[in-house]
Amino acid sequence: MKQLKNDSSNHLNTVDIHINSTFLHLLQIHDSAFPIGNYTHSYGMETFIQENRIHTKEHLLEFCKTFLKHNLAYGDAIFIQEAYKETEKRDMNALLSLDELCGAVKLAKESREASINVGKQFMRTILPLHEYPLLSDWQAHIKSGKAKGHYAIVFGIFCSLNNFDRDQAVMLHLYSTINGLIQNAVRAVPFGQNTGVQVLHELLECISEVANSVRGLTVQDISNNALHIELASMKHEYLFSRLFIS
Amino acid sequence: MPFVFQQPPLKASRALYDGPKDRATVYIMESSGGMVAGDRNDITITIGKDANVTMIQQSALKIYPSPNEKVCVQEIVVKVGEHARLEWMPEVIIPFREARFEMSTTIEMCSTSTLIWGEIIAPGREKRGEIFDFESFRSKLSLHMDGQLIALDSLSLKPGEMNLQAIGMLENAQYIGSIWVVSPNVQTLDVREIQQTFLNHSSVKVAITRLDRNAIHCRFLSEEQWEM
Repeated sequence: MKQLKNDSSNHLNTVDIHINSTFLHLLQIHDSAFPIGNYTHSYGMETFIQENRIHTKEHLLEFCKTFLKHNLAYGDAIFIQEAYKETEKRDMNALLSLDELCGAVKLAKESREASINVGKQFMRTILPLHEYPLLSDWQAHIKSGKAKGHYAIVFGIFCSLNNFDRDQAVMLHLYSTINGLIQNAVRAVPFGQNTGVQVLHELLECISEVANSVRGLTVQDISNNALHIELASMKHEYLFSRLFIS
Repeated sequence: MPFVFQQPPLKASRALYDGPKDRATVYIMESSGGMVAGDRNDITITIGKDANVTMIQQSALKIYPSPNEKVCVQEIVVKVGEHARLEWMPEVIIPFREARFEMSTTIEMCSTSTLIWGEIIAPGREKRGEIFDFESFRSKLSLHMDGQLIALDSLSLKPGEMNLQAIGMLENAQYIGSIWVVSPNVQTLDVREIQQTFLNHSSVKVAITRLDRNAIHCRFLSEEQWEM
């Protein structure tokens, strides 16, 4: 067990991926078949698409980079990391205030609700898989209204309880969120499958760089400079016809 | 206004009653002309129960260059009591070339109190071509209601390190405006209709959204200050 813990605290060790089921479980929760409903959210991208502001591969690439570097990195990625650390300390009060903060920075109503709904789906899917007292407590806090149940927080808690490598968990979260966005763009713009593959491939380096930079960030660094994406998320609820919930 | 504690260059006017009945207007003046490397402004405002106050900044807040790399800091703490009302008129914040600025605004509300709070950030002295030439601009506004944090608007602009014109960032916009409205009557506002009015009448990019509890946030992104 100690060996396992040491192994899993290696930082971003993508060369030496351990042959064990823990890593497979981390992959499993990021699989597109894992039913948390990511494919139903565009996080404001649909507004850009309807305003014809994303119609080439280059536009999509640039949009994803902004989302990655200025929204995810300084938002949910930090929340995952912090929730992971507070879970290690079993600090329930710190987790509750992180959950509150997570909702407070999501100013656009739909982004806030998306985060809660994905969190709810994630919770529903993982609860039958494990018996962690802390997760049951968290579920009770959500039921009583003390916590909203934002995805980044419950995801961080879950990764910590499972001893997933923290940096890999953050990186995979960034990867699967961006992958989800690209797949949604492929369907909504539409682009060819190959365009989607190429955009994701071009972003891989950026994803790992961002994951690396998140390691040095704390709650003090939380910010959102992607103001046009936020504006688009706010406007999304007023769109006339919509493919996505957010 | 029962208590005023002040230290130059910051000064608060006495309460003026020139508007609607029982509404006090107080001007906040800054006699130095702007903040220079390492300056610090602290403003604490407490609005008592049932009071009705409008606060107006006398002029734009100018942040001068920080060649010594020291950061100018402004901290505002506001408490609005039960059934009280505060209106804060926005004056532009102008970070000059090489300016370093950090501002934090903390607003504590009750569910019965009312707030209208505005803020406009300029890219610099735009008309003379000083556009995003500042070093850093950090801003955090947090809004609490009955002790619960309901909004945190956190910006960290470093024009030298990021592409502010990229898709999804500021794009062509140079001015960032925000309005926060908190009121027990906010639920009766038709935000969809307000959003529609914005779309029809304005070349400024605007969106409006509901926050948790009885609060509304409105964001403006504009190429021009005047339009906003």
